[in-house]
Amino acid sequence: MNDEQKIEKLQTLVPPGTVAHPAPHRIFVTVDPANLVALVAKMKAELDCWYVITISGVDKGVAYEILYHFGDTTGSITVRTQIPKTDPKIPSICGVIPGAVLYERELQDMFGMVVENLPDPRPMLMSDDWPAGNFPLRKDWKFDRPAEIIPGGKK
Amino acid sequence: MKFNIPIGPQHPALKEPISIRLTVEGEVIRDADLRLGYNHRGLEKLAEEKSWIQNIYLTERICGICSHSHATCFVQGAEKLLEIEPPRRGIYLRYLVSELERIHSHLLWLGVAGHEAGFDTFFMYTWRDREVVMDLLEMISGNRVHYAINTLGGVRRDLDESLRKKILEGLAVLKTRSEYYYKIGAMEPTFIGRLAGVGRLTKQQAMDFCAVGPMARASGVDRDVRKNDPHTFYNEVEFDIATADTCDVLGRTVVRIKELFESYKICEQILHKLPDGPVAVKAPRKAKPNEVVSRYEAPRGENIHYIVSNGSEKPERLKVRAPTLANYPATVEILKHGFIADIPLIFAAIDPCICCAERSVELIDSRSGEERTLRFSDLRRMANERARILPLQRNVAWPF
Repeated sequence: MNDEQKIEKLQTLVPPGTVAHPAPHRIFVTVDPANLVALVAKMKAELDCWYVITISGVDKGVAYEILYHFGDTTGSITVRTQIPKTDPKIPSICGVIPGAVLYERELQDMFGMVVENLPDPRPMLMSDDWPAGNFPLRKDWKFDRPAEIIPGGKK
Repeated sequence: MKFNIPIGPQHPALKEPISIRLTVEGEVIRDADLRLGYNHRGLEKLAEEKSWIQNIYLTERICGICSHSHATCFVQGAEKLLEIEPPRRGIYLRYLVSELERIHSHLLWLGVAGHEAGFDTFFMYTWRDREVVMDLLEMISGNRVHYAINTLGGVRRDLDESLRKKILEGLAVLKTRSEYYYKIGAMEPTFIGRLAGVGRLTKQQAMDFCAVGPMARASGVDRDVRKNDPHTFYNEVEFDIATADTCDVLGRTVVRIKELFESYKICEQILHKLPDGPVAVKAPRKAKPNEVVSRYEAPRGENIHYIVSNGSEKPERLKVRAPTLANYPATVEILKHGFIADIPLIFAAIDPCICCAERSVELIDSRSGEERTLRFSDLRRMANERARILPLQRNVAWPF
């Protein structure tokens, strides 16, 4: 299936004006978070998108952008969705694609998003003594290295 | 009676510490669980503070074995954002190093597989030959591990005619020896018997859990970014996707051996068709606001970098996904039906580089609470012992 055929198919699944084709073999689809799981399920059934390469989160200032990168035999399709920072909730796609679990857990750890219906919502990357409410990939998160204290050194 | 076996997480010699907690009943693993993050270096956050050119060297340090993979994946994407097109010769040299890296990584893996299966002759042979390709890489780039050959807009070093001849000679040596090893593997029934049927991952499971690389290809999923995401270079050379349908460690071994031959083929084509001209163009310092998805087939599977630029000389966001992470969900699934004795082999088969070193394993008896500390070498000895006692699978053929 080439890019044009994929776009044609995608346009039957999503509202007009949401499919972008910025480069060869790269298609971007924008979707509302409420319709995300349904779209992913349809893409898996009709476009052979069973392989999610990864899920990227981006801090956009007022909102978080989440990108689901799907790979197929002729390139990749990226599903883009945005959720507000005040209520960062996103449904899990693990029901459709079980292999996405680690990437969704990573979103929780790194951005503090709440992935709903995640089969395994434990923290994945952070250590057990990581202070709560610290989400490193948020743009307003800064790490200050604590001052080094040398035993017996100058006060 | 159930045992809990925690494996890992820390060892100073490992680049990828990981904690695996297994619940076993007798010799059979009933449940497996992973805990990651012991070596999380905050690299994605750090990349936002570094310039485009600094980030090449940062991404190169993500991995020690496939260092060139991450750097190339980043450079491919960054060049699109900076709107520059590297010269043909630069591209050819970049992917020549890619394929040589694949050869060294697969030879390393074959050695590890031989070692874990108790076939140490194989390990010594393949690691001796790995030195041939390591020397070639050193001659090309000046380094054995972090080649630092990539730059924005091309590569940093050129080849001359004598070096081109030396690489071709080295490849000829590797090719004859690889054929010999393939024959040894195919004619050694104990080796095949140890690998066959271990760590089964069906095609449906590989698809459900989004496995990548040789792991997926050994289960009959013919996905390879070099073919599936065609960009300028890999369209110009001829090669095949290596697959196997045995769905076990034997299949993963065969896939990697086949890929070795494909890589020799690609390297020879590159060296015969090497275009003349400059190796790099000058890159601007700033990139316009844009985004790019860059994919690359690393030796272990697909590598993806998603890069967002914001008009400055630093990226707004760099998302990296290395192939080993993608293979973890499938590995957990495989472990759930395996034996304790097969843990080293199964883990070696995804090539995560955590079996290379000695590890401490604690066996806890859930009934008496008695603890016993085992080293990874003891586990390997148990594995080989089990393989010795078990009747050989004599009907298994080398599927190549």
